[in-house]
Amino acid sequence: MISTEKASLPAQESSRDLGRFMRRVLRQPLGIAAAVLLLLLLALITFGPAFLEHSPTRTNPLATLQPPSASHWLGTDELGRDVFARIVHGGRVSLSVGLFSMLVGLTIGIAIGGSAGYFGGKVEGALMRLVDAFMAIPTFFLILVIVTSFGNHPVTIILTVGLGFWAQMARSAHAEFKRFRRSEFVEAGRALGGSHLRLMGRHILPQVLPQATVLGTLGVGWAILTEAGLSYLGLGIQPPLASWGNMLQNAQAYLWSQPMLAVWPGVFIAITVLAFNVLGNSLRDLLDPRS
Amino acid sequence: MTEFITQRLFQGVVVLFLVSLLTFFLINLAPGGPSSLIDFQSTAAEREARLARYGLDKPVHERYLNWLGGIVRGDLGTSINQGLPVSQLLMQRLGPTLWLGVASLLLAALFGIVLGIIGALWKNRWPDHLVNTIATLGMSIPNFWLGIVAIIVFAVQLGWLPSSGFASIGSGFDLGDRLAHLLLPASVLAFSLMPNVTRVTRAALLEVMTTDYVRTARSKGLQENRILGKHILRNAMVPVTAMLGLITTVLFSGSVVIESVFGFPGIGRLAIEAANGRDYPVILGVTLLAGLIVVVVNIVVDILYAVIDPRIRHD
Repeated sequence: MISTEKASLPAQESSRDLGRFMRRVLRQPLGIAAAVLLLLLLALITFGPAFLEHSPTRTNPLATLQPPSASHWLGTDELGRDVFARIVHGGRVSLSVGLFSMLVGLTIGIAIGGSAGYFGGKVEGALMRLVDAFMAIPTFFLILVIVTSFGNHPVTIILTVGLGFWAQMARSAHAEFKRFRRSEFVEAGRALGGSHLRLMGRHILPQVLPQATVLGTLGVGWAILTEAGLSYLGLGIQPPLASWGNMLQNAQAYLWSQPMLAVWPGVFIAITVLAFNVLGNSLRDLLDPRS
Repeated sequence: MTEFITQRLFQGVVVLFLVSLLTFFLINLAPGGPSSLIDFQSTAAEREARLARYGLDKPVHERYLNWLGGIVRGDLGTSINQGLPVSQLLMQRLGPTLWLGVASLLLAALFGIVLGIIGALWKNRWPDHLVNTIATLGMSIPNFWLGIVAIIVFAVQLGWLPSSGFASIGSGFDLGDRLAHLLLPASVLAFSLMPNVTRVTRAALLEVMTTDYVRTARSKGLQENRILGKHILRNAMVPVTAMLGLITTVLFSGSVVIESVFGFPGIGRLAIEAANGRDYPVILGVTLLAGLIVVVVNIVVDILYAVIDPRIRHD
């Protein structure tokens, strides 16, 4: 009897843990709402283009700056392009840039910050000074420097925005790896002959993942904002490819005649970034009880 | 203390050196870097003359050393597009940015601290949720878009405030006119800085509220207002001051975009003009200046911090 009880314990424990976890998830209604909103948005930009009546790039000189109508839900822009179609296609660009930049920043940040924290000593000193240097350059200036030199191909934009984000991630990965490098389970792995890469990747990295998830989620919002700002300035995603940022750049010339043109892309940026920020905050409450 | 300051200064110089190294080589080693300047229809002799004029015929490390040597003497090179010394351009443009920066910082500090106090005093009740909502909105709404909307509402529809510029054309210095031009851009920039201040203030207050000395003050029967003012706020302001360095970098990044929205003739706008015109000496100069200001602010904050809190000096 006793032995069967013991054997069934872990299963019970884990199902009880899952139940407890689900209850904690349900205590984050705002976070759930944000996640649902993001899923809807994802569905819109993934499947939307197949159902769209208008092309995002086809111009129509006879129907410029139209107000919203049954055919053009959000009206048309200065070249007669359908604003809603451009919002949907622009969303693809903005969200992809946001997600991939965040992944770039997260990867570089964890690799460099993690190595600094894990190895300590001279490596730590050198790498962390590099992080300091990146933190001292206001992100937008760094991005301007890179975009000016390397051009504004979408892939370059992704790498560049990611580079604006990595230093922050490196700081927190540094602190976490430093905290865990002498902990017992890492020492045990070391005693078993685990390589540095294995110790860092298999033993410490999982400890950092909850925090990385939170920072990553907030990071997507930040990256979308940054790309939008860059494209608004004419240095990011280039027309005719639509992004929420470069739609605003064109719209500013028509503030007096057609102000709503400048409102729609901003509303979509704000709602998307808001959803990522709310989701990030909920994930922090959920996954990172220390803060 | 002297040792602490020397150490911080030395670290600051190292960071600035890295900043210069980073920006210079990013720009000069890029495929589209300064060497692409010669892609004009010109004769070979003209091209060589152009290269020689900007020193581009020399190897990159030599150019870096020349540039660095110039900086030490206060010479940041010459703007390619405007033909003026970079240092002169920076001086012209620094004024408006400082006005904008200081105004936004004051607004962000005022509203951020007040909201942070409200959040902490009514923790987890509706005022706290409201503060949290405002802070999250500040983080999420693109500041340049908010600027555009502010122009639509206050300049286009209502006509209360000027839509762009730093001063009315043709008038001398007039404080009212200047503040009218500053109000929209500074408020918009402050709105995106405010969440940082609010979050740190709220967290710091909540931490200080649980300390022993606050409990002692309360058990001595001190008035709640006195405890809040003399014991809690004063101590909670330490971490808020400490984040001034971070705020400065966010401020610079924000000014790049906001100055463009409002046609504000500052450093950020200069950076955009230089980026669009591939004016490499100006981009280098602007970035280095921004880095310098950030590093100096950080050092000053660190020293202030160490003066206020002796534990820092001895870690």
